[in-house]
Amino acid sequence: MKQLPATLATAVVAMVFSTSALATIDVEAAKDLTQQNNCMQCHGVKKDKDGPSFLKTAERLRGKAGAEEEVLKHLTSGKKIKLADGSTEEHKIVKTIPPKDMAQMKNLAKYILSIQP
Amino acid sequence: MANQNSDKPGWWALLRRPSAKYSLLGIMVAGFFGGILFWGGFNTGMEATNTMTFCISCHEMRDNVYKEYQYTIHYSNRTGVRATCSDCHVPKDWTHKIIRKVQASYEIWGKITGKIDTPEKFEANRMAMAEREWARMKASDSIECRNCHNFDAMSQELQKKIPYKKHMEAKAAGQTCIDCHQGIAHKLPKGFKKPGTEEEE
Repeated sequence: MKQLPATLATAVVAMVFSTSALATIDVEAAKDLTQQNNCMQCHGVKKDKDGPSFLKTAERLRGKAGAEEEVLKHLTSGKKIKLADGSTEEHKIVKTIPPKDMAQMKNLAKYILSIQP
Repeated sequence: MANQNSDKPGWWALLRRPSAKYSLLGIMVAGFFGGILFWGGFNTGMEATNTMTFCISCHEMRDNVYKEYQYTIHYSNRTGVRATCSDCHVPKDWTHKIIRKVQASYEIWGKITGKIDTPEKFEANRMAMAEREWARMKASDSIECRNCHNFDAMSQELQKKIPYKKHMEAKAAGQTCIDCHQGIAHKLPKGFKKPGTEEEE
């Protein structure tokens, strides 16, 4: 029972952190960035288009270690992606104003990972 | 009536009176060269308003859209081809250019009244200004884009597969550049959703 306060404290801290992590996502800014970069031409939020939906990516990576880094790699490095016909091509590198603004990129990665069914 | 009593004829009478001093050929030659000078001066003046230096001489353009444009591919790219303000916003052919210039003179009124003289005012009007420009481009089949870009000149081998597929779909559907490429050289207005990308949310 002595451990109970410590467990509770840990739970409270975890909740506060997870809430603050959610609170740090600027959803509108992330959506504006997807529009600016034409992301929605190939990805739906919940609908698969030529690329997987944001939801599918979120469900594949959510909770895994390095999930955000994985999404960031897609957004920033021109990583090879597999197309429906089995061929590959480089994923578009997301552009920000000012250029290579990692804060905007991370916000977008967090937004993608936050999509719920 | 005053002219009749005066020794000097009026301006209109002077213009209508046949020349007693100069030959018809002399007048024609002088008119010809005078016309060239006038026309050259007029066009040079108009072209001066097509330069980027002119466009960014107002802080409204320099501190907002010009700043954003400097980060885009139409300003700086691998091949060193630059599309300046007028390349995208003023038609090349003379008639449409004159019409656009006359329309643009209304912007002077905006300048005088300070309609967008702060970043906040600019943002507040960004959607209206962008929509007006997109409508103009749509109506002209994105004529300025097409000075350089053409569906038929797109190489299936050199263009990435998905963009090529989208371009060919757009061509078949009779779409024009600005239907998808809004905000290609400037920030999109906040909250703007491109047609066909509104999602179930």
